[in-house]
Amino acid sequence: MRKYETFFIIDPDLTEEAYTLTSEKLKGVVTANGGAVLTYVPWGKKKMAYPVKKRNQGLYILMEYGGGPKLVAELERNMRLDERVLKFITVKLDDRFDPNKEESREIVTPAAFEEDESIEENEGGDIIDEYGAGTEAGLEDEEIEQK
Amino acid sequence: MVVRRKRRTFQRRKVCRFCVDSELKIDYKDSKTLRYFITERGKIVPRRISGNCAKHQRVLTTAIKRARQIALLPYTTVHTV
Repeated sequence: MRKYETFFIIDPDLTEEAYTLTSEKLKGVVTANGGAVLTYVPWGKKKMAYPVKKRNQGLYILMEYGGGPKLVAELERNMRLDERVLKFITVKLDDRFDPNKEESREIVTPAAFEEDESIEENEGGDIIDEYGAGTEAGLEDEEIEQK
Repeated sequence: MVVRRKRRTFQRRKVCRFCVDSELKIDYKDSKTLRYFITERGKIVPRRISGNCAKHQRVLTTAIKRARQIALLPYTTVHTV
């Protein structure tokens, strides 16, 4: 078994119900293919650096799991088919992984995302997040073009 | 000698940030840290500017490229669809 993490973005406009359904489905794919989900952490809504499928925001989710290489192929195939999943990236964390020895770790949500969420709650949809100077300039450019 | 010294007036020895601070990890999900190492246009800052060591620059490059894939960092400033 190997240890992988998949970081993916799903449609932020989904209803609570649809979101749970998607989560369960993806977790189900992992378990059905002989894997074990270790963590499943929603990182919150975040403005993406560039629009994906005509959406500017995405709900980022980080899932860590153990499994074989075939599982990854199957999971990615499912994500590609599923329209609710906008983007994904899978990274191998460890070549060897023993599910029995897995120690319980605290779930860490990085500060960068927490901050973004609070901003979004206050001001709603289209705002420029506290990014570095780079993207801010970029966003301004985009806005000017649209006008 | 004199000419040489004039040229070198504003040179400062740069150190690799990741070597100095071992707490600082390079992670593609950590867009805040990575943002230090891209230009306003979204290009990766070269080693000769940022002062990173070769090892960390390599790791950083892959991290930035991954972050771009998952839309945490921009490929470029103007994304025309």
